[in-house]
Amino acid sequence: MDFGQFLSYIGSGTVLTVGVTLIALPAGLLIGTILALLYVYGGKVAARAMNLYSTVFRGIPPVVLLFILFFAVSKGINLSAFWAGSLSLGVVSSAYQMEIVRGALLSVSGDQLMAARAVGLSRLQAIRYVVLPQAVRLAIPPWSNEAAIVIKDSSLVYALGVPEILRRAQLIGASSQRYLLAYLSAAVIYFVLVYATTRLLNLLEQKLSIPSNP
Amino acid sequence: MKKYFLLAVALVLVGAMLVGCVSESTSVLDKIQKAKKVSVGTSADYPPYEYLDDAGNKTGFDIELMAEIAKRMGVELEWVDMPFDSLVAAVAGGKLDMSISCFNFDEERDKIVDFSEAYYTTEDAFVVTSAFTGTITKPEDAANYKVGVQSGTVQDGWLTDNLVTPGLLPEANLSRYERVDQAALDLANGRIEVLMGDYVPIQALVAQNPDLQVVYHGVLSTGPINIVLPDGDAELKAEVDRIIKELQAEGFIDQLAVKYFSE
Amino acid sequence: MPKPILTIKNLTKTYGQNVIFQHLDLTVNEGDTIVIIGPSGTGKSTLLRCINLLTRPNEGQIWLDDLEITAKGTDEDQVRQHIGMVFQNFLLFNHLTALGNVKLGLTKVKHMSDEAATEKAMRELSRVGLADRADHYPGQLSGGQQQRVGIARALAMDPRVMLFDEPTSALDPELIGEVLEVMRQLALDGMTMMVVTHEMGFAREVADRIVFMEKGFIVEEGSPDEMFNHPKFDRTREFLWKITELYGKKEKDAE
Repeated sequence: MDFGQFLSYIGSGTVLTVGVTLIALPAGLLIGTILALLYVYGGKVAARAMNLYSTVFRGIPPVVLLFILFFAVSKGINLSAFWAGSLSLGVVSSAYQMEIVRGALLSVSGDQLMAARAVGLSRLQAIRYVVLPQAVRLAIPPWSNEAAIVIKDSSLVYALGVPEILRRAQLIGASSQRYLLAYLSAAVIYFVLVYATTRLLNLLEQKLSIPSNP
Repeated sequence: MKKYFLLAVALVLVGAMLVGCVSESTSVLDKIQKAKKVSVGTSADYPPYEYLDDAGNKTGFDIELMAEIAKRMGVELEWVDMPFDSLVAAVAGGKLDMSISCFNFDEERDKIVDFSEAYYTTEDAFVVTSAFTGTITKPEDAANYKVGVQSGTVQDGWLTDNLVTPGLLPEANLSRYERVDQAALDLANGRIEVLMGDYVPIQALVAQNPDLQVVYHGVLSTGPINIVLPDGDAELKAEVDRIIKELQAEGFIDQLAVKYFSE
Repeated sequence: MPKPILTIKNLTKTYGQNVIFQHLDLTVNEGDTIVIIGPSGTGKSTLLRCINLLTRPNEGQIWLDDLEITAKGTDEDQVRQHIGMVFQNFLLFNHLTALGNVKLGLTKVKHMSDEAATEKAMRELSRVGLADRADHYPGQLSGGQQQRVGIARALAMDPRVMLFDEPTSALDPELIGEVLEVMRQLALDGMTMMVVTHEMGFAREVADRIVFMEKGFIVEEGSPDEMFNHPKFDRTREFLWKITELYGKKEKDAE
C-alpha cells in the first residue's frame, strides 16, 4: 500500500470527523451564547451559576466527559457513540465558547448599551440590535481558534469506536505495521481541515469588518 | 490511555450505582436471542488476534472464533470496533453484549464485568534443531543465542521487553520474520539458533519436522485469554462457556491457532 | 405663564457614602435652553442621567410634562424616547452607518416602516448638515461629524427635551464650532435643551438660563447677563473667570 491508498482509507473517516465537528461546534455556540448572555445580563445568581458551569466543564478533559456520557449516563438511553461523542464535545466547547462570547459582550457592552437605551430601545432590543452584532465581529478570531480545537478534539470520539480519521489510522497502521505512514496521513488530513476552516473564518472576518478610515 | 481507562472504569462504577439495578433480572442472553443478533466489541488493531485484511475486513483468531460462537448461538454477529481501553467499559455500560480482544483475566476488570472460561492459553515455546548444543532451562537463557521470532507478535513483544530492552539480548541477535515458516527455514539453515513462537503452531511445526525439538514451553507473553461478558449474567456466561468447551473438544480452536499463529 | 416641561424636586443621588448631589430643585420651561456649568465631579452628568432614567435617583421626583417619571412602575423605555441624549463620547453604534444610527430608534422603537424611517432619518441628517455622509460608518467620520450624527439620532425621536452631556469636550478645538452651530440652530428653532458644557461663549450667547453647580448643590442660577456681569456669589464669579480664561485661551490657540 502506498501513501495515496493510506490517504484514501484514512480520509474516508473525514466525513465522521467533519460530522462530529459540525454538531459539536454549533451546539457549543448555541449553548455558549445563551449562557454568555445569562452570565453578562442575568444578574448575580446567574453569573455565579455560569461561572461554575464554565469552571467545571473547562476543568474536565473532554474524553472523560465523553466516557461519562456514553458509558454511564446513557446506560438507559440509547445514545449512539457518534451522538454521545458529538454532544459531549459540544458541551465542553460550550464552556469555552461562553467565555469567548462573554468577553466580546463585555468589551462592546457598557456605553453602547447605554446609548441604545437612551434612544428608547428596551434592554433586549439593545442587546439584540446593538451589542450582539458588534460582539459577533469581535468573537470571530477567538472563535476560529476554538473551531480548530474542536476539529482536533473530534479525534477523541475514536475512544467510543467511531471510525473517524484517527481510529482509521490506528487500524491500517496495525494491519500494515506502517504506523508512521498511517499517522502522517492522518496529520495531513487534520492539517488541511484546520487550515481550510481558519482561512474561511478569516475571510468571514474580513467580510464583516466595519469600514473605518485609518 | 491507561490513566483514562481507570478513570472510565471508576466512572462506570459510579454511573452504575446512580442508575441502580435497572431490570437486572433479564439476561443479556434473552435480549440476544430475541434480537437474533449479538453485538461484540473488538479492537481490530492487534494481529494476529484481530486486525484488518487488505480489503479492510476484520480477520484474525478471535474474529473467526467469535463468528463460530455466534453461529452456534444461532444469531447474527454484529462487530463494533472500539479502542481496547474502551471495550470493558462498553460491556459494563451495556453498550455491547460482549467483547473479544485477547483479554487476560484481570482483578480490576473483574469488578465490573465477568470473564468466560479461557478459550485459549497462549503458551510460548522455544524450539531448536538437533544441531543445537547450548542449554535453555529458563526463558531468559535464550538471550545467549541468536533468536528468531515472527514480527509484531506477542512473542516479539515479550523478547523485546524482557531481553532486548534490559540489554540481555543484543538487538543484532534478534531476527524478526514476517511468517513463522520463514523463521523455521532460517533455523534449519543455522542463521538463527532458537525460534520463539506460540506453542500450538510450534507443535504443529515440530510434528512436520523431526529435526526440530521444543526445549522450553510455558506461559510468558499472554497466558489464558477470555471473552469479556456483562457482570453477573450467569445465563449468558453458561451459554458462552458451553460453546467454548464444545469447540475445544472438537479441536476447532487448535486449528485456528495453527492457522493464525504460524502463517 | 410659560409651561414647564421638566420639573425636578428635591433630587438626591448617592453612590454608597458618596453624595453626588442632594435636594436639587430645577424647572425647565418649554423652549428654554438651560446651560449647567460647574467644576468636574459636581454631579452635572449624573443629573442628566437621572433625568433620562439611565441611573435612578435615591430621593426626589422628576416630572416630564405632567407625568412623574420617577414614580414606581414607569415604563422607562417609553420615557426615554421623549428625552434625547447626546454623549460626550458620541457613542454612535459602530456597526451601523450614519443613516443606520439615526434609523434604529425609528424602526425598532417607533415601529416606522423602513421607507418612512429612511425619509425621516435623512431629514434629520440634513438638519445637521450630513446628508452626504449618510452611508458612512462612524469610523469614517470626524469627531465633529460623529457628534452631529449623535444629535440627529436623538432628534429623530422627536423628543420633548434634549440633554447634552459635555457634547464638545472630546472634540479637537477645530471641530467644536460645527457642533455648537448645530446646537445654536436647535435652540433658535425652539427645542428645549439642557446642556452641560464648559463652552462659555455658547452659554453667554444661547442660554436662557445658566445654572452653576458646585459640590452637589446649585449655587446660583440666572440669565447670562446676571451670571456673567452681576453674580451674587464670589464662587460663581471665580469659576466663570477661571473657565473663561482657560477655554478662551484654548479657542485662541485653535485659531
